[in-house]
Amino acid sequence: MLRIDHLSLRRGDQALLHDLSLSVAAGEVVAVTGVSGSGKSTLLNWMIGDLPSAFDASGELWLDQQRCDGLPVEARGIGILFQDDLLFAHLSVGQNLAFALPAAVRGAQRRMAVEQTLADMGLAGFHDRDPATLSGGQRARVSLMRTLLARPRALLLDEPFSKLDAVLRVQFRAFVFEQIEQLQLPTLLVTHDATDVPPGARVLNISDWQVGDA
Amino acid sequence: MAQAIRRALTGSPRGTAPAALLAVSLVTLIFAPLLPGLYWALMPSMQTPVWQALWRDPQWPQALQATLVSAVLGPALACAAAAAFATVSYPGAAWQAMQRRLPLLLAMPHAAFAVGIFFLIAPSGWLARAIGQFLAWTDPPDWATVQDPHALALALALAIKESWFLLWTLSAVLGEQAVARQMVMARSLGYSRVQTWQRVLWPQVLPRLGWPLAAVFAYGLSVVDMAMILGPSTPPTLAVLAWQWLTDPDERLQAQGGAASLVLLGLFLLGALLARGGWHVWQTRRAYPDGVRASATPRHWRWELPLLAVGYAVLAVLLLWSVAQTWFFPALWPTGVSLTHWLQADWVPFWTTLWLAAAASLMCLPVVLVWLEWGPQRWNAVLYLPLIVPAMPLVAAQYAALLRAQIDATPMALVWSHLLWVLPYMVLTLVGAYRAFDGRLLTTARALGCSRLRACWQVKWRILLRPILAAWAVGFAVSVAQYLPTLFAGGGRFATVTTEAVALSAGGNRSVLAVQALLQIALPLAAFGLAALWPRWASRQRLGLR
Repeated sequence: MLRIDHLSLRRGDQALLHDLSLSVAAGEVVAVTGVSGSGKSTLLNWMIGDLPSAFDASGELWLDQQRCDGLPVEARGIGILFQDDLLFAHLSVGQNLAFALPAAVRGAQRRMAVEQTLADMGLAGFHDRDPATLSGGQRARVSLMRTLLARPRALLLDEPFSKLDAVLRVQFRAFVFEQIEQLQLPTLLVTHDATDVPPGARVLNISDWQVGDA
Repeated sequence: MAQAIRRALTGSPRGTAPAALLAVSLVTLIFAPLLPGLYWALMPSMQTPVWQALWRDPQWPQALQATLVSAVLGPALACAAAAAFATVSYPGAAWQAMQRRLPLLLAMPHAAFAVGIFFLIAPSGWLARAIGQFLAWTDPPDWATVQDPHALALALALAIKESWFLLWTLSAVLGEQAVARQMVMARSLGYSRVQTWQRVLWPQVLPRLGWPLAAVFAYGLSVVDMAMILGPSTPPTLAVLAWQWLTDPDERLQAQGGAASLVLLGLFLLGALLARGGWHVWQTRRAYPDGVRASATPRHWRWELPLLAVGYAVLAVLLLWSVAQTWFFPALWPTGVSLTHWLQADWVPFWTTLWLAAAASLMCLPVVLVWLEWGPQRWNAVLYLPLIVPAMPLVAAQYAALLRAQIDATPMALVWSHLLWVLPYMVLTLVGAYRAFDGRLLTTARALGCSRLRACWQVKWRILLRPILAAWAVGFAVSVAQYLPTLFAGGGRFATVTTEAVALSAGGNRSVLAVQALLQIALPLAAFGLAALWPRWASRQRLGLR
């Protein structure tokens, strides 16, 4: 379970968010909507541990009974998906996925696990391909699987569908929520498009926690 | 189909043929005499007796060793320092603090920096005095900290100065790619900061740093002014030796100097090949990602402080020496302070440097603008050659060409010789902002009835005022810092602050030397200050220009 307790974000003397508390159960998707520039991405930056130095934050982040907000990014076990696929250009598709596999999977089994993942995605035989030669939809899928292969305990989605065209969007959305359902990950989705929200998900507007004019 | 329509609307970026011809011919004026010049300068060296004489010269082995030590160790340490700093602090507050200070430090010319380092680490320098306070010394210690036979002091100075340059180019590269996001992505997968740099960022960033690294290596091989101040004196580094031979009246020694220049070029090519080969081997032998995560090491040291502190220390010690009336070892501070050295200073080199740098940078500015607007951009790589090739053969080529035309030692020849280095730096500084300019603004202006030239003059170049002035300031600073072209093309008749500083460093009054070094720093600083303030004044009512 992912829980935020009494988060307040300020930039200098300007308050962005005031006393935000939120909890997300396993397998649940909570959508945070709001206008551009309202601090949605800053919220995700704080949760992943990469808050820019211009901001101050106070509040607690709890993941599965463990306090996370003091830990560095690499120790939190939270996965993130951005608008851009951010596949590492110097590694092949298979190497990108293998990069995320935990060290517990060793030797020849690593490659086998990656090949299996690619086959499950419908990209069998793509192991040694250059990521730049993949289509946008294929890259988005590989990026998601890379994040999930690292076995995160929670997932943050920072407008991951906004760079895809209409048809791809529907397909990729379904794929993402199917994986979340399967792995039972607490997920926080930031978007400004209402159609991105899966049916039955809680929708919160960030202006609920903003002080004065947004 | 949308692309085709867009292309038809915005027109070909090549522009009209006469304009392109003008761009090419202007640049050719600067570059073309080099080709015959290289032939005349290096032809006499192409005979076996010359090479045999070079090989048998008693100064040759030591000079080669000193050059290799300073040119390999210096840039290697600079890389290591820049890499260590970036790994630990990108993209946090320390990184941004360093970025704000860098332009000031980069404006410091190499010769003035070398003089400051000399004042700091010489046996009677400030550091020795500071230590001497604790150990109660009365005489300077018997160390060879400067002008040591292995050129270690030179390597140290190169390491510090070039680390600033590498940090600046690194920040430019890091700003271009979506690097910060890749860092978060890799760290969210469980990898520590150091691992992320090793496995994700350096493999992508290092190829982009190829040209700056080549430029740093070429500079280290060919530097003469810093080598004369900090490097060994008998025998000097190979670059200094080549310069001494090239300016010798004896023709055989001139041929030997040409041969030594070719050796420097060969060393550069060898180093570049080894680096490319090493990189290729490292890439192809990369192991399959093993997924091993290191533990996070949160270290929040302010690594940028030592790098910055040296720059400030250099400025401080130069200022102290310039106002010191008497300052004998082991006193930590000057015993008498007065402005006599400033009032009695020789201002002729200052004014010479000023008109020379102003002429060179102002003449180059239209050439740069015409080239970027109408010139064939494919040939930009040729323009950058003077930056990455050791300067010695090029200076010799210029000198040979000027001699044949019998216009050496004239002001015109002097300005022309500086253009070879001012032009590439100005293009390099401006090309990014120029390419990022929204072409639709120009299309709109032309659709309103202006010719291309008028649209550029009234719209494009006014909006790009800040980058254009920054490029001008860089060209100005480059001209101030030139040493070899001033000596060769000027025939020794023009004294600039750089040549004065190097000449005075050979022995003599430290205070006079400090004054000239500070004058050398003041000129680029003034240019950068002007380039920063003018756009601010010009855009005081136009916030969109900021």
